[in-house]
Amino acid sequence: MTVFGIGVAYGLSTLFAMFSGMPIAFALGAVAVVFMAIYMPGASLDTVTENVYEEMASITLLSIPLFILKGVAIGQSRAGKDLYSALHAWLHRIPGGLGVANVFACALFAAMAGSSPATCAAIGSAGIPEMRKRGYSGGLAAGIIAAGGTLGILLPPSITMILFAVAAEKSLGRLFLAGIGPGLLLVTLFGLYAVFRFRKEYAAARALYEKTGVEAAILHRDDFTMAERFSILPRVLPFVLLLTGVMIALYGGYATPSETAGLGGLLALVLIALIYSVWRPSDLGPIMRSTISQSTMLMMIIGMSLLYSYVMSYLHISQSAAESIIAMHLPRWELLAAILVLVVVLGFFLPPVSIILMTAPIILPPLRAANFDIIWFGVVMTIVMEMGLIHPPVGLNIFVIRNVAPDISLSEVIWGTLPFVLLMMLAVLILCFVPEISTWLPDQIMGIDGSR
Amino acid sequence: MERRQIFDSIAALDSTFTMRIPDGTEANVVSDAIGIHEHQKDAAAGNPLVAALQRALSFCNRIIVVLASVALIAACLILSYSVLGRALFHLANYWQDEASVILLVGATLMTSAYVQGQRGHIGIEAFVGLLPPLANRIRLWLVDVASLLFCSFFAWKSWTLMHEAYVEGRVTNSTWSPPFAIPYTLMALGMTLLCVQILLQIIIPFAGVSRR
Repeated sequence: MTVFGIGVAYGLSTLFAMFSGMPIAFALGAVAVVFMAIYMPGASLDTVTENVYEEMASITLLSIPLFILKGVAIGQSRAGKDLYSALHAWLHRIPGGLGVANVFACALFAAMAGSSPATCAAIGSAGIPEMRKRGYSGGLAAGIIAAGGTLGILLPPSITMILFAVAAEKSLGRLFLAGIGPGLLLVTLFGLYAVFRFRKEYAAARALYEKTGVEAAILHRDDFTMAERFSILPRVLPFVLLLTGVMIALYGGYATPSETAGLGGLLALVLIALIYSVWRPSDLGPIMRSTISQSTMLMMIIGMSLLYSYVMSYLHISQSAAESIIAMHLPRWELLAAILVLVVVLGFFLPPVSIILMTAPIILPPLRAANFDIIWFGVVMTIVMEMGLIHPPVGLNIFVIRNVAPDISLSEVIWGTLPFVLLMMLAVLILCFVPEISTWLPDQIMGIDGSR
Repeated sequence: MERRQIFDSIAALDSTFTMRIPDGTEANVVSDAIGIHEHQKDAAAGNPLVAALQRALSFCNRIIVVLASVALIAACLILSYSVLGRALFHLANYWQDEASVILLVGATLMTSAYVQGQRGHIGIEAFVGLLPPLANRIRLWLVDVASLLFCSFFAWKSWTLMHEAYVEGRVTNSTWSPPFAIPYTLMALGMTLLCVQILLQIIIPFAGVSRR
């Protein structure tokens, strides 16, 4: 059989195994082992387990369970609600300040917890009822939270970025830094849009009030005294300090990314013990169980995806696919567009971790050949995968919103998130024209990357 | 309240408070919080041998989860110690990374049976919802058999790898050089437990118990 034939068979068997509903980890592993048995020397089957262990036993990959622990610890405490109330108290004077406070709260929480759905659940459960009480439409409230949550995989520490760094063999610290600029760009875009929509909804309510005298909730203004504003700070500051402390440890050269994960996990546990008195085994039980469920599931997928791509490269499938893409001599931007469309389509079915590990060996060589900065591409790919979190059919964040705010109808949620999907596309376009938004910060801090 | 009623009300609470957690899995908030799970309900009826096996496995998993939690926190402590030791006392980092790797790999592989018990290894369920219920039950059963085949192969190869590493006395390539047999044993044990868990999930429909 030719490499092309084997490649097609490999792809089709993977599709079949995946869509049968078999757990992704076992499906990838099983397809890899079957193809090993058919097309590779018999002895290679003996090294399957050694391969998986060697790939998994990387301290960078194994920082993932620790980042998850940190995220779950912060996510299951009241930190999200406190953070949200503090920002609301400080930003309420700005027109549309409540929406902006929600976007900021999502961004800060995402940077601490590193998970998109956890951010939606934590900030959304406090933010959506509050926004609705103040007369924001359900769609706008849901859209702000769903989109704000996606910042979780862009701002450091992001699990998808850890995998991208491993798959592309790039510096994780640099990739984390490269996500900050685009993260701020998205925060700005989301915030501006929230203000714009607020003004529109406010003007409509105002017109109605002047015509009929019916007063809408959105027209009310509330006030916080300075004492109220300061009284909430002691609960929030430690978490903000945790965030900055961990970043300083990482970029000041005191700690590697995996050490940062350990330090962050430990500090998060200490903080929730001190501030929310979550320290008894019965309190920690749900946190640890949830951490283990998420991280084991994810690490099994990662381990098996690595085996899957090992087989793909041993059988020369990835190399041939990459070579034929290069041989097509697509113009630079068309190549990028085609690859991003592929990522979007895969995002309909697969979690970002498997997309990265399965496609990296195929799509990175052509991108390198076309002279794209791989770190920059990692950030763009991350934003595109984030879009998958807030659009149907799988859009995980949409389901989280449905759970925290069951009174908003699904269609309202989807229509509410759509403008944010467009804003993210706009951000990708801006990044294509001004790549410095992403590359400036890492270049300033870590020097120019010679290996581009 | 009857035992049956208690379990039913827990199940009802679970369906109300099911929480989606990152990356698509669902956590049963209520039964997780109080530590009572549906497979324990299964154990209450049906074939006594299957029930006993179920109880034994769920007991085993509960202990493993506690140990894995300790391993996770220990890894956090070790990595933090490595940062502080270097910053304050200029200590060299020669065993910390490797020790954390062994702890974390061990915790991951040993808990894979627990996660399978919760049906926490996610699959793509986008199209299978379209199947009629009976076809779907058969599909789920076949998927479990396929998963069992793969995991058994993996467990078998893990044991042979462990045996080789033990007999040859292989150690890792570092100054600390712990024997490879330790993580390989954890891998082999974890995968074997995973096989037992899947096997249980396969035979339960034939043991006259409702299937999880």
